[in-house]
Amino acid sequence: MFKLPAWNSRNCPCLRRAVSIFCLLLWLTSGHVQGALALTTAEENTIAAYEKVAPSVVNITTMECDPEFFWCATPLDSGSGSGVVLSADGLIVTNNHVVSNAKKISVALSDGRRLDAHVLASAVAEDFAVLKVDPGEKPLRAISLGNSDRLKIGERVLAVGNPFGLGQTLTVGIVSMTNRTVKDGGKILRDLIQTDASINPGNSGGALVNSDGELVGICTAILSPTGSSVRIGFAIPVNRMKEVVPTLINPWPRIVGWGVAALLLTLFLKRIYRRPEAASSGNVSRMGPDSNF
Amino acid sequence: MFLKNTLFIILLLTLFFSVPSAYSLTEDEKNNIDLYQSLAPGVVNITSTVVEHDFFFNVIPRQGTGSGAIIDSRGYILTNNHVIEDAHKLEVTLSTGKKYTAKLIGSDPDTDLAVVKIDVPKEKLTVIPLGTSANLKVGQKSIAIGNPFGLGQTLTTGVISSIGRTMRSSTGSLVEDIIQTDASINPGNSGGPLIDSSGQLVGITTAIFSPTGASVGIGFAIPVDTAKRVVNDLIDKGYYSYPYLGATLMNLFPDIASALKLPVTSGALVVDVTPRGPADRAGLRGGNRRAQIGNNIVIVGGDVVVSVNGKPVQDADAAIREIRKLRPGDRIELVIVRWDGSKGAVTVILGEKPRDVRAKQP
Repeated sequence: MFKLPAWNSRNCPCLRRAVSIFCLLLWLTSGHVQGALALTTAEENTIAAYEKVAPSVVNITTMECDPEFFWCATPLDSGSGSGVVLSADGLIVTNNHVVSNAKKISVALSDGRRLDAHVLASAVAEDFAVLKVDPGEKPLRAISLGNSDRLKIGERVLAVGNPFGLGQTLTVGIVSMTNRTVKDGGKILRDLIQTDASINPGNSGGALVNSDGELVGICTAILSPTGSSVRIGFAIPVNRMKEVVPTLINPWPRIVGWGVAALLLTLFLKRIYRRPEAASSGNVSRMGPDSNF
Repeated sequence: MFLKNTLFIILLLTLFFSVPSAYSLTEDEKNNIDLYQSLAPGVVNITSTVVEHDFFFNVIPRQGTGSGAIIDSRGYILTNNHVIEDAHKLEVTLSTGKKYTAKLIGSDPDTDLAVVKIDVPKEKLTVIPLGTSANLKVGQKSIAIGNPFGLGQTLTTGVISSIGRTMRSSTGSLVEDIIQTDASINPGNSGGPLIDSSGQLVGITTAIFSPTGASVGIGFAIPVDTAKRVVNDLIDKGYYSYPYLGATLMNLFPDIASALKLPVTSGALVVDVTPRGPADRAGLRGGNRRAQIGNNIVIVGGDVVVSVNGKPVQDADAAIREIRKLRPGDRIELVIVRWDGSKGAVTVILGEKPRDVRAKQP
């Protein structure tokens, strides 16, 4: 127990005064008083999460054309989307549909820099594309990845993106449902996260993060009769991205895998077609290159 | 004595933990409810009747609805200019349901703000305190109270989605530091307050971005700092007097600058100066001949403003922004590049903007 100097010891024991002052101070400094700039804990959490992820979300502007119309002879049309920084050296993940028709891609970082990007690889069925930018001397800030399997319905999520090309925007909502399967045009997207945070055209490829500021999904689609948000938005879970994107960035395991498969197939076919030849081995020497008839 | 001490401490502790946990609401819910209960009486519904004429000049009244916030115990209500514009009759409904006829006090179309007044005794009014929009943070809570679609008083909550956006008002002038929120804002919410979690007005909900006409989670509010600058003038004079340079400015793009062989790549090109206006008297020169650069016809020969009061300006809007921060009668120092390439500085004493001059001309 601490002691304060008793400044009026005549009628007041100092312990009581100390405790009462302490309590009064606690009461005054606690969020209970509607102070001028007191933020609630929920707000402080949202602000902190946003400030953590904001530098890792980029705005993507594409110049695109209709590839079926005169081999892109018409003037280019511009489109917008969002992207998430995966590594400090300039890998950015976005939706494939953001960049699939693009002739030219430019990426605006939250610090105002504008960089040219090119598509490194894309997975059409999964609607992922990986872009590469050259960050120059200032490295990008990579987002921290969360675990989308641990998401609970009702949990708070933040969507950061570039709706309608307006510029970086935060919208907040909750997880409405997980493991949702939706049909998007001809494609079927499986195991999506559904959220009621406002997601609009241009949010595509943007980040859906949890209240710790960890990426849990990539905003991809909405369900809406109007084409803009009615608070039913869908995001591809980050765990799916963790499976798909490494194989896009580093194709060698895939190449080796297919190579091995091709080799095995070749050997297998060889075995099948060798058999009758092996039976009449007398002809073999006549087909050799060094045999002159 | 011991009993008295204990009681005193218990009293303090109850004060400290005095969260009425009867319904076990979260802190956030409690905050919303507190704010709504204390501030909703300060939000009014405004019905404006515009008189139109049909083909045979018969009078057809048309009604529109909007919202407003009581900002003064004398009965002044802050709302949007577009809510009360051209109104023949204004009717204000308090949250109690009482209707009053309101008088238009002043309006400023450039910032889309207006003040109307109702004559109601002080005791019956709840005033919404004006906060500041300067230290808002993206992610903090925003609460909108308004009258969407004329339904009646409605509370919607969201977060601040971004700050510092720029919006063009109906007159074409730029409004700075617009607050974007994902609280649902719909037609009829216009003029209503955007409130932060400590119960202070931080913005006036004004516009939405939407392809459908209804909320898609992108709403905009005029920052209260802009409103605070304008409101006193509106109450005193009925209009806000803008500073006036008396010059028409155009963006100087790098391609135009290089075609004209100017020693700068960006700035505000003076196209025209009003005769005997502040800029003219200070010696600023406007353009005098036409030149075709690419597909554009540009009036050249004028000075290029490259900095205003020591702040470098990249384009005309930036220059206008700097000038707009000042008041009539203030002196500004412009650094200019002349047509012949020489650099110079002029000091302009700003005038008061005539009330019919287009917005692009500061």
